[in-house]
Amino acid sequence: MPRDVAPAGGHARERESLAPMSDPYPSSALAGRVRALAELLVETDLLRLRIEREGEEIELGRRAMHPDVVPEVPADLGALDARPARAEQIRADLVGIFHLSRPAPAEGDLLEGDRELAFIEALGIRNPVRSLGPGRILAIRRGDGQPVEYGSVLFEIDRG
Amino acid sequence: MRTVAIFSEADRESLHVRQADEAFCVGPGPVQRSYLNIPNIISTALITGCDAIHPGYGFLAENARFAQICADHGLTFIGPKPDVVAAMGDKATAKRVMREAGIATTPGTDILETLDDALSAAQEIGYPVLLKATAGGGGKGMRAVESAGEMERALASATAEAEASFKDGRVYLEKLILDPRHIEVQVLGDEFGSVVHLGERDCSVQKPSHQKLIEESPTPHLSDAARSSLLEMAVRACKHVQYSNAGTLEFLVSGDDVYFMEMNTRIQVEHPVTEMVYSVDLVKEQIRIAAGEPLGYAQHDLALRGHAIECRINAEDPHNNFAPQAGTLTKVVFPGGPGVRVDTHVFSGAVVPPYYDSMIAKVIAFGASREAAIARMERALRETVVEGVSTTIGCCLEILATPEFREGRYDIGFLPKLLKQFGDPVVLTGASPAAPRRRRAKPVGSPTDT
Repeated sequence: MPRDVAPAGGHARERESLAPMSDPYPSSALAGRVRALAELLVETDLLRLRIEREGEEIELGRRAMHPDVVPEVPADLGALDARPARAEQIRADLVGIFHLSRPAPAEGDLLEGDRELAFIEALGIRNPVRSLGPGRILAIRRGDGQPVEYGSVLFEIDRG
Repeated sequence: MRTVAIFSEADRESLHVRQADEAFCVGPGPVQRSYLNIPNIISTALITGCDAIHPGYGFLAENARFAQICADHGLTFIGPKPDVVAAMGDKATAKRVMREAGIATTPGTDILETLDDALSAAQEIGYPVLLKATAGGGGKGMRAVESAGEMERALASATAEAEASFKDGRVYLEKLILDPRHIEVQVLGDEFGSVVHLGERDCSVQKPSHQKLIEESPTPHLSDAARSSLLEMAVRACKHVQYSNAGTLEFLVSGDDVYFMEMNTRIQVEHPVTEMVYSVDLVKEQIRIAAGEPLGYAQHDLALRGHAIECRINAEDPHNNFAPQAGTLTKVVFPGGPGVRVDTHVFSGAVVPPYYDSMIAKVIAFGASREAAIARMERALRETVVEGVSTTIGCCLEILATPEFREGRYDIGFLPKLLKQFGDPVVLTGASPAAPRRRRAKPVGSPTDT
């Protein structure tokens, strides 16, 4: 069943991701390093921090205070702007109960093509919710087993 | 009792959404994808744990298939049983059933299959004739046809309008009785065979599109004999079909002739006037009956008291054949005080979407006498402020001020004739009974209509 796909409203994505890296650190060292960077992020107004060094790449983002609040991001932040080039919302086009498909998608997952992310159960019928193309899951807006109405935002996808 | 409202994206800010315990969006603005979206409506009822669905007075309220689907999913449809909705909500079938019960009906046909059927039937009945949607109401899917040359176009447009409005494009044809009075009888029946009437309403103030604008109860200038005949026929008809829940039988009255026209197997827009004069909450009675409770009272327990009038406040331009208006209501103030009731879903800042019926409020006035009810209605309408779109407020005031209305001597030709008499544009608004009529003053229903 086709989904309505609309551009995201532009609010800060809920992101906490680590980019793929060839990890020279043991896990405890990595955890300590990430914790230090996270504290730095909290102390500043930055939404996103990315560090690249030889063989090492770390990217941190942080949540907005409220999903509906759009933090003002100065245009001159340039590369530090956390907003993906193309963000889309996948919305429910029917009323029913929302279920994540198995294996359950997670925020941050890369989508290599069209994939069933979830389904809406309505009147005993399983109505698939598909990603409709590649991207990365920025946010999953409904919990497994929750009722959804027409137009409910289910996923936010970075198509960038 | 807890409530779940359904709404379209266009009605997200509507009062019914705010006042319900829960509200679910069932689709976008266009009715086919929202208020006629049966799967989404049923799904909403199921996932929110509803016991029953009240279908209101539009959209699926007279859809037998919807009533059956409710039953199939264990939901109580607050209305008659699906087979009765099918028989009586289908206007052509209803007339056949009424004839079986010995009740006079307007000469007419069953469902028309082809243009040739329509032409030959009209020839036999005699022009003028009226095409009517079998699932219809509110003037939708209705066309007057004066001659054979108009039939093809009228049939096509009536069918298309009926399909768009009710998901049922079937139409039938009946003799157009010129300028009768439109009088309807409110009935309540339970599932144990008890049927009572709650008097009649005069709904003869109708726009040229046959949509009602002002209703009142009781009917002025109706003889006791005619009234008794109407009420007796209505109760007999309901017992004949074992009718349960609220319903209305509509009659055309021309001189001493009374014809059954159609039955609405639902609550009607104008039900508040009956509630005012009988002190009965009809919607509560609907719910009680649907829950399987007996009426608990008999005809002699019901007594009519006083007089009530309803004026429909529509977002329409009376200058332009009552064309619907969409837009933001920049200011809304409704009247109050003893004997005044307002049913509405709008407020200051509300948006009137382009998708639905243009009625935005109903003002109902009660009085110990008809004169008192008219005086109270005039005061209430003058207190009403609706800015941002054109409305029918001024038009209603103008009608109330006419000698015909004040004397209660009007029929369904009254308003169309009044509009022609005034010419185009109609220009009077807010006139008191004593005020002389003015032309080209403040436009009726202007954006600053009050």
